[in-house]
Amino acid sequence: MQTISLKKLFYFEKTPLNLGIAIVTVALLAAFMAGAVAYILHGHHVYNVTRQHPWGLLIAMYVFFVVSSTGLCIISSIGHVFGIPEFQQIGKRAIAGAIITISSGFAVIGLEIGHPMTMLIYNVLTPGLTSAIWWMGTLYGLYLTFICLEFFFLAIKVNHTFSKIFGICGLLVGLAAHSNLGAVFGFLISRPSANGVFYPVYFILSAMITGCYLVFLMYGFRYKMNFPEKVSVMLVKLSKILGMLLAVLIFFEAWKILTALYGDMPERAATILHAIKHPNFWFGELILGMLIPFAIILVSNAKAIKATIYASITGMVGIFFMRYDLVHDTLLYPMTTLKRAEYQVAPSFVEYFPSAAEFAIGFGGIGLALFMYYLADKVFNLDETESAHH
Amino acid sequence: MARYGMALNYKNCINCRACESACKEENGVLLLKDHYRIWVGVKEAEGQFPNISIASQTYHPSQCQHCENAPCQQVCPTNATYYSKDGMVMVDPTKCILCTYCINACPYDARYVDNRTNTVDKCTFCSDTRLANGETTTACQATCPTKVRVFGDLDDPNSEISVLLANKEYRQVKEHLGTKPKLFYIL
Ligand code: SF4
Ligand code: SF4
Ligand code: SF4
Repeated sequence: MQTISLKKLFYFEKTPLNLGIAIVTVALLAAFMAGAVAYILHGHHVYNVTRQHPWGLLIAMYVFFVVSSTGLCIISSIGHVFGIPEFQQIGKRAIAGAIITISSGFAVIGLEIGHPMTMLIYNVLTPGLTSAIWWMGTLYGLYLTFICLEFFFLAIKVNHTFSKIFGICGLLVGLAAHSNLGAVFGFLISRPSANGVFYPVYFILSAMITGCYLVFLMYGFRYKMNFPEKVSVMLVKLSKILGMLLAVLIFFEAWKILTALYGDMPERAATILHAIKHPNFWFGELILGMLIPFAIILVSNAKAIKATIYASITGMVGIFFMRYDLVHDTLLYPMTTLKRAEYQVAPSFVEYFPSAAEFAIGFGGIGLALFMYYLADKVFNLDETESAHH
Repeated sequence: MARYGMALNYKNCINCRACESACKEENGVLLLKDHYRIWVGVKEAEGQFPNISIASQTYHPSQCQHCENAPCQQVCPTNATYYSKDGMVMVDPTKCILCTYCINACPYDARYVDNRTNTVDKCTFCSDTRLANGETTTACQATCPTKVRVFGDLDDPNSEISVLLANKEYRQVKEHLGTKPKLFYIL
C-alpha cells in the first residue's frame, strides 16, 4: 500500500479513453444512487417484477457480478495456487477484481431483497439448510472473507504461505458457493427448463470464461494494448485456455438444448424453443458471447491478443445476456394453474421488461465496480512485485 | 393433531367467485391485480357455434395446495415458510426476507407479495381468522353456494372429507412433481 493524497487519488492522465471511462463511471454511479433512492422511497414498486415473473434484471446482474468474481478467483488460482509460473502475475489484479465484483453484486442484491437486515439475523438463527439460496449466501460471505485475507497477504502484508492458504480456501468455498448459485435454479422442480444438474456445473464453466474475458479487459486497459513480452506470453496461454473453455461451453449448451427439446415435454420444450428463437439468445448469447471470441481464437491460433481483447468486450455483453436469459427463460412459462383459457385466450408466455430503476441499479453496479477498481489500482500496486517470484 | 386438506366438487362450481371475494374480505387481502390467495380457473367450452359442448366447460377453483412435501418450504433460506402442527404451510412474516424464491419454487402459482408487510403471503386455510377461534370451516367454503368445497381433517376417518375421498375418485394437480398436494379434485 502506498500513502496517497486525495489529489493524487483523483488525478489521472486525460487521454480520450480515460476520460470516456471516467464519464461513464460517474454517470453509472449517479444512476445507481438514483435507483437506490427510488427503491428506498417506493420499495419493489419501482421494479417491473410481478407475481408471475418475480425475479428480473437485478437478479441477473447479481449473478453476472458473482460469476465474474468466481471466474477471476479461479483464473488467478492457476498462478498462485497451482503455481503455474506465467500466471502468477495475474494474482493481485484478479483477486482485487474478484473482491470488487462480488461487492458490487452484493450492493445490487441488497436492493432487490426486501429485508436484508432480517436476512442477516435469520440466516443465522433459523437457517434453511435445504435452501440453495441459504448455502449460496452463506458460502459467498465466507468466500469474500477468504479472498479479502488472500489479497491482504498478497498486496499489503506480503506473506506467500498465508496468501496461498487463503487462496485455496477462497477457491474451494467460491466453487461451492457458485455451484450452489447454479442450484438456486437447478433445484426448481416447478420449472422443468431449469431443473436438473446442468446449472451447477455450467455456472462454474461460464465463470471461468467470464474470468478470462475480464483478465483480457483488465490487461488491455492496463497496458494500453502495448504488452511487455512476459504479459503477452501469459495472454496467449490464457487465450488458449479460453478457446478450450468456449468449445466446451458450446457443446454443453447444444446438449442442454437438445435434451430439453427431445421428447417434447410440454413446459420444458416449449420454454426452450421460445427462448432460443429470441435474438437475446442467438445474437446475444451465441454470437456475441461465444462465437465471435471463439472464432478469433481459432483463426489466429490464440495469437491475436488485441483482437481477443476486443472480442472480450462482445464476450462480456454475451455473458450479460446469458445471465439475463437464465433468469427470464426460467420464468417465462405461465404457471396459471388450471387456467386453460381466460376469455377464450390461452395463457401466453410471461412478459417482462426491466424498469428504469432496475436498469439504473443493475447497470449502476458496473459503475460501482469500475470506481472501486480505479481506487484499488491507485491505492495498491496490482502488478507483480519482484518479491512475488518466490 | 389434524392434517387439514380440502376436497373440491369442482364440477358443481358455477364460477360465481363468491369464494374469491370472501377470501379477500376475511383475510384483508388488498384489491390489487397480483394479490389473490384463491382463484377460479376456466376451461372454455369446446366446439364451434352452434355445436358447443356445454358439458365441456368446467371451472377449477384453486389455491395453495398445502403440499406435504412443499417446494416453497424447502427453498426458504430463513425457514420463514414452515409447516404448522396441523400440516399447513405457513409464512412467518417476521422471518421472511422477501427473496421471492418460494414464489419461483411453487408449482401452483399460490404465493404473492403482501404490500402491507412487504413479505410473501398465501392461503392459510383461514387459520388465524377462523380455525384459531374454534371454527371448522374456511371463508371460501362457508360462502360457496353450490357446496364445492369440503375442508377438514384427513387423519380423522370420520371427517366429511375423509369419507368423501374414501368413496370417490379424485385427482391432484401436478402430482408427478412429488409435492403431495392436499387439494383433491373429485371426479
Ligand atoms: S364460491 Fe363455489 S361456486 Fe362460486 S366460484 Fe367459488 S368454488 Fe365456484
Ligand atoms: S401450493 Fe405452493 S405455496 Fe402452497 S404449499 Fe405447495 S408449493 Fe407451497
Ligand atoms: S420470500 Fe420469504 S417465505 Fe419466500 S423463500 Fe424468501 S424468505 Fe422464505
